[in-house]
Amino acid sequence: MICTPAAIMPAARPSTPALRLVLTSRLEDLGLAWPWVEALADHYHIPAQTRFAIEICLEEALSNIVHHGYRGQGDRPITVDCELSGAGELVFTIEDEAPRFDPCAADESPAHASIEELKPGGQGIRLMRKFAGRVTWAPAPNGNRLTLAFALPH
Amino acid sequence: MQISTEDIPGGITRVALDGRMDIAGAAQADLKMNIVAGFAAKLLVDLRKVEFLGSMGLRSIVIPARAVRSRGGKVVLFGPNEMVQSVLKTSGIDSLLPIYHDLDAAIAALD
Repeated sequence: MICTPAAIMPAARPSTPALRLVLTSRLEDLGLAWPWVEALADHYHIPAQTRFAIEICLEEALSNIVHHGYRGQGDRPITVDCELSGAGELVFTIEDEAPRFDPCAADESPAHASIEELKPGGQGIRLMRKFAGRVTWAPAPNGNRLTLAFALPH
Repeated sequence: MQISTEDIPGGITRVALDGRMDIAGAAQADLKMNIVAGFAAKLLVDLRKVEFLGSMGLRSIVIPARAVRSRGGKVVLFGPNEMVQSVLKTSGIDSLLPIYHDLDAAIAALD
């Protein structure tokens, strides 16, 4: 099932909303994440800079799963859960069934001395570390569980 | 994603990007950016109306810029907002493609 903003699952409890987006591993599916984030941003009154940070981290995480995790297989599952933690963070948990890969343990691409050396890709991990308040990884039963947390203003 | 180009005095090609440079926006920008990169000798990439820039969007800027530079041309980035500039800096691209917020300075850098 693919959730659009109109089909977002309601909060289980008003104090701890839990929302889920289910995608398949096609690049064109990833565009469904942006109206979902927009709905979340409205719901939680997320400032523009935090929203930008959420979007860039989700784009990097999801596109890495499609490109590198599933290696272009277009019908594999990706789920994204969102909840507001007790610490006032908006926490996104992304699960896939791709081979295990811990981005938290991966090296960032090195700095480049010239544009000729610059690899167009390879910036995703660096960007997630910069823009997410917290990035953690754990093995999931059939793949990976990546958690991205963003502090919300009090 | 809207893309427009104009020639400005000094042999400069100004390409203005307008919208989100996410995966979908980057795909829309690629063809036109590569066409521009095929002829421009002095390229000013106007980012003032770019609302979002991810790594696929970076790719859509870096590959054409590299093509222009490989022919001995020059490339500058102009007017990114604070968050877009943060992406450029985090990626280290700002040290390879200079960023300007003043148009006259950007044009002067292409001389």
